[in-house]
Amino acid sequence: MKGSRKRAITPWVFLGPYLILTAVFFVYPFINSIWLAFHQTNGPRSAVFVGLSNFRFVLSDPDFYTAVKNTSIYAVVSVMIQLPLSLGLAMLLNSGKSRVRNLFRLILFSPHLVGQIFVGILFSVIFTPRYGLFNRGLQELVGWGLEERWLANPSLVMPALIIVSMWLYVGFNMIYFLAALQSVDKNLLDAAHVDGASPMQTFRHVIIPQIKAVAIFVVVMSTIGSYQLFELPYALLGGFGPNNSGLTIVGYLYSTAFETGDLGTGAAIGWLLAFVIFIISTIQIKLAKVE
Amino acid sequence: MNTIHITLVFLVAIYGILRWGYPRKAEIASGYLRYVLLGIAAFLILCPFVWLVCAVFKDKDVLMQYTFLPAVSDWSTKTLNFNNFRALFAGEDTVQGRVYFQEYVINSLFLASTATSINLFFASMGGYALSKYEFRGRQGIMAFMIGSMMFPSMLFLAPVYRMIFAFGWMDTYLALLVPGACSVFGMFLFRQSMTSVPDSLIEAARIDGASEFGIYFNIIMPLVRPITGAFCLITFLGSWNSFIGPQVFIQTQSKLTLPVVLNQYMGVYTQQYGVFLAGTLLAIIPPAVLFFALQKEFVSGLTSGGVKG
Amino acid sequence: MKLFIFAWHPTPRMQGNTSAVKADNQKNNTMNYPYGKAAFFILLMALVTGTAHFAVSFRRQVEKPDLVMAIFAPNHEEAYRAVLGEFEEQHGVKVQLQLVSQRALQSRLQSALLTGADVPDLVELLEGTIGFFARGPLEDVGFVDLTDRLHAEGIYDRMVPSRFSLWSSRGRIFALPNDVHPVTLAYRRDLIEELGIDVDQIETWDDFVAMGRSVVQDLTGDGNFDRYALDTPLGGIAVIRILLLQRGGQLFDEQGGVAFDTELTADTIAWYVRQTTGPDRIGYDAGWGQSLAKAMNDGLVLFYFCPDWRTKQFEMDVPNLKGKLGLMPLPAWEPGGRRTSTWGGTGLAITKASERQELAWELAKFLYLNEEELSARFRATNIISPLKDSWSAPVLDEERAFYGGQAIGRLLADLAPQTPPTYISPYSNLAQNKLAEVYLGAVAYYNRHGEAGLKEHIRKELTAQADYVRRVIDRNVFLQTDEGGAQ
Repeated sequence: MKGSRKRAITPWVFLGPYLILTAVFFVYPFINSIWLAFHQTNGPRSAVFVGLSNFRFVLSDPDFYTAVKNTSIYAVVSVMIQLPLSLGLAMLLNSGKSRVRNLFRLILFSPHLVGQIFVGILFSVIFTPRYGLFNRGLQELVGWGLEERWLANPSLVMPALIIVSMWLYVGFNMIYFLAALQSVDKNLLDAAHVDGASPMQTFRHVIIPQIKAVAIFVVVMSTIGSYQLFELPYALLGGFGPNNSGLTIVGYLYSTAFETGDLGTGAAIGWLLAFVIFIISTIQIKLAKVE
Repeated sequence: MNTIHITLVFLVAIYGILRWGYPRKAEIASGYLRYVLLGIAAFLILCPFVWLVCAVFKDKDVLMQYTFLPAVSDWSTKTLNFNNFRALFAGEDTVQGRVYFQEYVINSLFLASTATSINLFFASMGGYALSKYEFRGRQGIMAFMIGSMMFPSMLFLAPVYRMIFAFGWMDTYLALLVPGACSVFGMFLFRQSMTSVPDSLIEAARIDGASEFGIYFNIIMPLVRPITGAFCLITFLGSWNSFIGPQVFIQTQSKLTLPVVLNQYMGVYTQQYGVFLAGTLLAIIPPAVLFFALQKEFVSGLTSGGVKG
Repeated sequence: MKLFIFAWHPTPRMQGNTSAVKADNQKNNTMNYPYGKAAFFILLMALVTGTAHFAVSFRRQVEKPDLVMAIFAPNHEEAYRAVLGEFEEQHGVKVQLQLVSQRALQSRLQSALLTGADVPDLVELLEGTIGFFARGPLEDVGFVDLTDRLHAEGIYDRMVPSRFSLWSSRGRIFALPNDVHPVTLAYRRDLIEELGIDVDQIETWDDFVAMGRSVVQDLTGDGNFDRYALDTPLGGIAVIRILLLQRGGQLFDEQGGVAFDTELTADTIAWYVRQTTGPDRIGYDAGWGQSLAKAMNDGLVLFYFCPDWRTKQFEMDVPNLKGKLGLMPLPAWEPGGRRTSTWGGTGLAITKASERQELAWELAKFLYLNEEELSARFRATNIISPLKDSWSAPVLDEERAFYGGQAIGRLLADLAPQTPPTYISPYSNLAQNKLAEVYLGAVAYYNRHGEAGLKEHIRKELTAQADYVRRVIDRNVFLQTDEGGAQ
C-alpha cells in the first residue's frame, strides 16, 4: 500500500522542475503578456493602462506592414525555393554509397553549426562591394555584380538575405528529407521499376505519398521558423537595413520593446505574431489534409 | 572566359561524352551527373568557410586585395600573419576596466555547458516520468506541452524581462539559465527513447530494492546514452549561438557572450574586418569539435522527431 | 496540432535502432562514462569554466577607483589624461578614464540605468542620445538634472545658450556641453587655385552652385565625372540637417513638437536632390574612412562639409595633404545670411547611480570650464568650447601649417556665436530616418519625372512623415503627463 502511494507521487516529483518552471516562465508570462499588451511602459519600471492603443498603433504603423511584407516574402521564398532544393539534394544523396552520403551530409549540414549572428557577420563582409567574395565570384561567373551594394541598396537586401539563408538552411532541411527517403519502402520502388514506371511517375506516385508527412512537417516548421527570423538580418545589416528593407516582425518587436523600451507595444506585436503564425500553420495543415 | 567558365564547360563536356558515347550505360552518366551536382553544392557551402580561414591570417593591408590567399611567391609576414588574433586578444577598455577576449570565450563556454548540464538533468527526469509512469493527468500534461510549443518564444520576452527585473536577476546569469532550464523538446526526446526500455528491467530493480530515483539515475540514464549525446549537442549549440537573451539581459561588458560581443565588434572595427572575422572563426570551433564527435547521434536525435509517418 | 503528435510517436524502427546502439555501447567503456562522453565532458567544462569565470570577476571587483568616467572619443582621452593628474592631486582621489565604443555604450547604458546595474559616474554622451535616455517620465532619466546648478553657479550665462538645447528635455538640462561645432567648408586649396577660383567671391549657395557646375567634369573622357564640387556624405540626411539648421529650420521645436513639415524643409530637400542627382549634379558621396581619404587625395571632390572636429580628422586621415587644405565659411542662403551651421556634439552627464555626484560635478567643471585645459584640448582636438571666455585664448590665433598657415581657430571661433541651436526629442532618430525616406523617395521621383512636380511630391511626403512622427510622439503617455504636470 505504502509503496504504491509513494509511486503515485514519484512522477510528479520527477516532473517537478518542469512544472515549476512552466508555471513561472510560461503560464505567468502568458497571462502577463495579455495584461502588458494593454499597457505602455518605459523599460521594466513604469506601466500605464492605455486600452487598445497599442494594437491600434501597430495595425496602423507602416513599419509593421513593411515587417510583415518582408517576413512573408522571406517565408514564401524559403518554402518555394529552399525546400525543393533541399529535397533535390536529398534525392541526389539518397542513392549514393553510404560513406559518400555521410561525407556530403556532413558538408551540406555544416553551416547550421554556425549561429545566425556569426553567419550574419561573416556574410556582411562577403557582400562587400568590389572586394567581397560574393561580389567577386558573381563577377567571375556572370560578368556582373562587382560593385553592387547588396546590403545598402533597399531592393537588393531581401535577395541577399535569401541567399544567406539558403546557404544556412538548405543542408539542414535536407537532413529531414534524406531520412524520409531512406525509409521509403524499397519493395515499392522495385515494383514500380518492374512495372515500367518513369522516374517522374515513380516520384509522384510512390515517393511523394511516403514522404508527405515529413514534407508537411518541414514546410510548417520552416514557415514558423521564417516568421521568427530576426538575428540573421540584424547581424547581416547591423540593424534593419536602408529604408527598413531588412525589418522582420520579430525585429520590429525587438526594436519596439527593447530599443525603445515600450514593452507593452512589444507584447501586442508578440500576440499579432502568434496570431499570424497560428493562421498560417492552420491553413497549411488544412491544405495538406485536403490533398 | 575564365577559370570558372572553363571548368564548367569541361564538366558539361564530360557529361555529354558519357551520355551519348555510352548510351547503353545510362547509369554511368547519371551517376557522374549526381556527383558533379553534389560537388558543386558542397563547393558553394564550403567556400565561405575556406574564405574565412584565409581571411583571418591575412594582414589588414592585403585582406581585400586577394580573394583567398596571395600567390605562394607573395607569402611573407607582411601578407600573412597573426596580427588579427593579436589585436583580438589584446583586450579592450570598458566601463569595467580592461576585458580580454578569452573572458568572453569562458563566459560562453560556461553558459552553454551549464545550461546543457541542467537541461539534461531536468528534461531527462521529466521524460522518464512521462514514459514509465501511469498517472492521472499524464495525457493532459503532454497535450499542454505540445500546445506550449506552438507559441513563439518572442511573445514571452517582454513579460519575462519584467519578471527578471522584479526578481533582481538583471545582469546575472540566472536570467539566462533559469527560464530555459527544462526544454520541452528534450522531454519528448527522452520520453520517446525511454519508452523502448523494457519495463521488466525496472520491475527487477524495484524487487532488488532500488529507489525510484536510483532506477532513473543508475539504470535508465546509462541506457539512453545516444539520445543523451544528441540532446547535449542540440542544447549546447542552441545556448552557444543564442543572442537575444544575453543581448537583452546582460549589461556588464565583461559578462557578455561571444555572439553579442562579435556583433558589437562589427561597429567598432569597421576598418579592420580581419579582427572580428578571427573572433568569428574562433567562435565556431567549439561547436564544430562537439559536432564531429557526436555527428551520428546528433542526426538521429534531430530527425527522430520528424521522420516517421 | 495533430502534426506534432505524430511527430513525436516512437516507432518500432527507431526503437530497434537505439537498442542496437545501446547494446554496442554497453560493451564499450560503460565503466568510465556511464552517461556518455558528451555529458561527462560538458559537465566537466561547466565546472572548470565556472571556476575561471568567478575567479576573473572576483579579481575585477577588487580594484575600484573613486570615480569612473566613460568616454568614446579617442582624442578626448588623450586630452583628459594629460590634466587628470592635477585633479587627482587636488582632491586626493583616483579617477579612472575608460574609452568605450559608442555603440556599446548607448545600447547597454539605458537598461543599466533603469535596472540599477553597475554604471560609470560620468558619461560623455553623443548628440541626440539624451533624447533616447529621456523618453520616459523625467524621474526615470538616469542622469542628474544639472539645470539648477548651472544657473546657481552662473555657468549657464558663460556659455553659448544654443548649445544647451542638445542636452535638454522638457526644459531640464542633463549634460554639460563640450563644444560648439560650427560648420565650415574645407577645400583643396591647391586645386582651387589651379582652377582660378577665389573662395572669397563665393558668398551664397547660388554662387557656389554656379562655380560647382563649371568644375564638375569628365576629365578622362570615359563618360563618368572625375571631379565634383561638393562632398555629400552619409546618404543625404546629415547634410540636409546641416543645411536646414543653417537656414533656421529645425526637426523639432523647443517643446519637442515635430517641426520639419515646412516649406523651408521641402525647399532644402529639393535643392539637395538637384545637387546630388542627375546630369547637373555637383555632389558626390565620397563615403567615410578609407574611401574618403582616397577621394580627397585624388581630388575627386573639391569641397567638404567640415565642422571643427572634422578638421582634426582630416589631419589624421590624409596627412599627405598637409598645406593643401583650406577652410571657408559656409555660403549663405541669401546675401548677408548665416555663414555656418552645426554638426554633432558631445556632453558630459553625471549618473544618478553615482555615489559621489558632488565630486563628479567638480570633475566635470574641471574638464569643461578650465581655460588651461581648454587650450590644451583645442591643440589636441581643434574643438571650440561653448565657454565664451575661452574664445579670446591666444591658442585660437595659432597658424596651422596643415591648413596652409590659416588660423582656423579664429575662423571657427568667429563663426561660433552664429551657430544655430539644435532642438532634440526622444524621436530625433525616428525623424531623421523618416526624413531620409523622403529624400530617397525624392531622388527616385527626380530620376523619373525631373523637376516637374518635385516640390509637390516632397511636400506631400513631408506632411505624411511628420504626421507619422507626431502620432508616435502623441502615443507616449509619459511625455504627456509630464508636460501636463509642468504647466
